[in-house]
Amino acid sequence: MSDESKVIVEIDRIVKDFRPGFGLRRKRVLHGVSFSVRKGEIYGFVGPNGAGKTTTLKVLMGLIRPTSGSARILDCDVSRSDFRRHVGFLPENPYFYTYLSAREILHFYARLSGVPSSRRARRVDELIHRVGLDHAADARLRTYSKGMLQRVGIAQALVHDPEVVFLDEPMSGVDPIGRKEIRDIILELKGEGKTVLMNTHILSDVEMICDRVAIIVKGKIRYEGPIGDFLVADEMRSDVVLSHLPPEIGERFEEDFGGQVHGVGDRIELHVLEKQVDGLLRIALDAGAEVVSVTPVRMSLEHIFLKAVAQSENGGGA
Amino acid sequence: MRLQHIWPIATNTVRESIRNKLLYTLVFFAVIVIAISVVIASLSYVEGQRIIQDVGLAAIRLFSVGIAVFVGIGLIHGEIERRTIYTILSKPISRSEFLVGKFLGLVLTVWMQLVFMAIAFVIVSLASGAPLGAGHAQALLVFGVELVVVVAIATLFSSFTTPMLAALFTLGIYMAGHLSRDLDELGRQADDPKLTMAATWIYRLLPDLEGFDLSIQAVHGLPITNAEVFLPILYGIGYSTVLLIAASTIFRRRDLK
Repeated sequence: MSDESKVIVEIDRIVKDFRPGFGLRRKRVLHGVSFSVRKGEIYGFVGPNGAGKTTTLKVLMGLIRPTSGSARILDCDVSRSDFRRHVGFLPENPYFYTYLSAREILHFYARLSGVPSSRRARRVDELIHRVGLDHAADARLRTYSKGMLQRVGIAQALVHDPEVVFLDEPMSGVDPIGRKEIRDIILELKGEGKTVLMNTHILSDVEMICDRVAIIVKGKIRYEGPIGDFLVADEMRSDVVLSHLPPEIGERFEEDFGGQVHGVGDRIELHVLEKQVDGLLRIALDAGAEVVSVTPVRMSLEHIFLKAVAQSENGGGA
Repeated sequence: MRLQHIWPIATNTVRESIRNKLLYTLVFFAVIVIAISVVIASLSYVEGQRIIQDVGLAAIRLFSVGIAVFVGIGLIHGEIERRTIYTILSKPISRSEFLVGKFLGLVLTVWMQLVFMAIAFVIVSLASGAPLGAGHAQALLVFGVELVVVVAIATLFSSFTTPMLAALFTLGIYMAGHLSRDLDELGRQADDPKLTMAATWIYRLLPDLEGFDLSIQAVHGLPITNAEVFLPILYGIGYSTVLLIAASTIFRRRDLK
């Protein structure tokens, strides 16, 4: 088995039932969830709120015991605590002791993670710099914004230089620049050969950085594989805005491409399939039109989740 | 159990606990009551110095137990409620190590406040001319171990229930622990052997906290034997260990949602 195909995280038919309250009936939140993450991958775990993403990560971190099924990380059962030496975890909206500074809390986590005292201070300084908190490293965490706390959360997840990193909504509460910086950190981790599993709602992040994804809806995995294969081109559409288009060509477009055509002044907007864009532009330019813009229209997450459910119910899912 | 995991949790718990306003309030009132004991003693014609020490030691006991219970009950629950526990337990630390670290941190906190109150007690005793001897130190030492038992009870209940219920259960067990000898004695006097056996078992299960109270001997200058000091210490360590094992077993199985 090559190094890249080595399975690092393996979840096998995990079922989790919760009892909502004393005497109430058990509620099943995970229905036999199975997937695997290979070495060096950035794996996206995507699903709507309440789908079971966080519960699955908590099972992996040993915070929740599965009702049945098994989970292994680096060939260790997750019920043991030793494997966590090689795993970093960023929980959703992380909370810390707010009376400590970022430097103090990272020292605390470094001690718990067994980072030798000789290397601790340097490692903490490196991480503070990496997550862009040099200016606030000694300020109390109670004065931090949500985005800054998220950065502390990422730093603590990496404090012991883990092989595997679990990130639960890593972009949550972070501004656009911060999101890009976090994406860059995740890509750097991949470059260092680390394996990343991240829960997210943000489709553009998934498309940009994830090698493979699992889509979970109502506690069931509905799709597993590359996101590009799921968002097939024959369903993707684009908005094309043209100007100075001869009217007869505009009418031809409506017939030939079957798209919606809207005209405003001397501009028209066409909503067509992505695979038709090249042909349409060629005809338009030949007819003397000018291209104002071409904007790919992304599927909404809701649409993706509905599609995943429909696909799995038709037997096409994972 | 690895000390390199337990110690950071314990020191951080001390740091967290000494920020608790309730702790300062209780220590403040304890010191006030110890100081007021001089005024109370002045109202009496006889044995004023003994009254000062009786009231002083009673204040130390009452407020120290209050601190152990009311700070201890939020020990685990607070970490889950504030979600600080997720990042801690994502490190290679076992739940038992976390629990023991929290317990140890609170024990250190209550011992620190006990030393502070004891200093106030010594100052007031010296200022009023009340005699101080080894008996006072022994009484405070044994009481320090009783506090370990109270913290262990609070830790046990904090590991699986809400702070409100944990406070009720801990105070209930504390009071029952001070009455358990009387219960055993009543059982022995009962005619029904089943009742005697039930009383004996309840006595064995509940902590025997009366053995930790050497205040009377200390205040009255009565001799305290080695057995009166070391047996409660050994009993306290043993009982706390059993409670911590139970707390750890429950906490290991708990889902942290």
